[in-house]
Amino acid sequence: MSRYAVNSLLYRLKKDPQFRAGFMADPARAIADLDLSEAERAAFVERDRRRINELGGYLHLVMSIPGLARR
Amino acid sequence: MGRIVFAGAMSHVLDPDYYEHACGEAGRRSTEACMAEIARMGERLSAARAEALVVVADDHLNAFSFNCVPALCVRTGRTVQRMVQDHAEAFDRVLDHMPATYPLHEPLANAILEQGPEAGFDLALSWEAPVDHAFLSPVNTLHGSRPIPPLVPIWVNCFVAPQPTARRCFAFGQFLARVIAASPWRVGIIATGGLSHFPELALARVGETDTVFDRRLVHWMERGEHEPLLELGADELHKTGSHEFLNWMVLLGAITPARAVVRYFGELPRINLAAVEWTLA
Repeated sequence: MSRYAVNSLLYRLKKDPQFRAGFMADPARAIADLDLSEAERAAFVERDRRRINELGGYLHLVMSIPGLARR
Repeated sequence: MGRIVFAGAMSHVLDPDYYEHACGEAGRRSTEACMAEIARMGERLSAARAEALVVVADDHLNAFSFNCVPALCVRTGRTVQRMVQDHAEAFDRVLDHMPATYPLHEPLANAILEQGPEAGFDLALSWEAPVDHAFLSPVNTLHGSRPIPPLVPIWVNCFVAPQPTARRCFAFGQFLARVIAASPWRVGIIATGGLSHFPELALARVGETDTVFDRRLVHWMERGEHEPLLELGADELHKTGSHEFLNWMVLLGAITPARAVVRYFGELPRINLAAVEWTLA
């Protein structure tokens, strides 16, 4: 588990609308080049906020990324 | 000779819509009641004719990216910008209607920064970091349409472990009081955040609070008994969802041994909202 990998990705999703749009369209592709564990990658691809949080994602980021929660 | 002319602390998500969504009608009522008390505190702050307002709050991983997480950071410069967040969610949305730019009290900020190293505080400084709801919701609620004094925003790292200790934050507040006393200015100081919410920063526990713990904090503050608060550990603050009480510890150091007067304390499932003011000599 990498606290940095998870949270730097969350931070980018929050702050970079273009990256976020790409992620929402195709999460697996958007994060393909990032240094994530299998569990971390799966949590993001599933947009599983609780799992991302359990893997070290800071709550305030997890809760405040537009569209991260599956509707 | 400068002095602290007003001291208050309060919750900082001051948005009735947000808490109505999270907690129903009780959330709206409680938030509006808390904000009304904060507005009355603001009338006293304005009457005290503060020339600067120190605002001690935390970063919600908003202003600082993961290339640097400062333990204690002072914002200097002439002005500070409100944080802008596209398609804001949750607590970020409340910023949208607020003024975009706020004057800073650059001489006081610089005095804090310059006197810090000799006093044992090697502080981070920023000329560019914007401020989010942790600063601007309380400041705007306090002042309404009245002029806002020049601000000195100070960030405490409340969330990214390892955080500064409660004792360290208190000592920093004592240092702030010395800087203010040696200055020519009348200064107000507020701390924001809390009380108990988001225990363990776990999404699964959003909606829980620790009211017993909060009432202990309030009891000690009302009595001016600050020694037990110095012993608060990071683990205890984390488990009870009291991360942001570190901001309050800075304020307590600045005004100790003054006693707190609780203007509002309201329990919600999501958070315990509070507004507290100190009686200064």
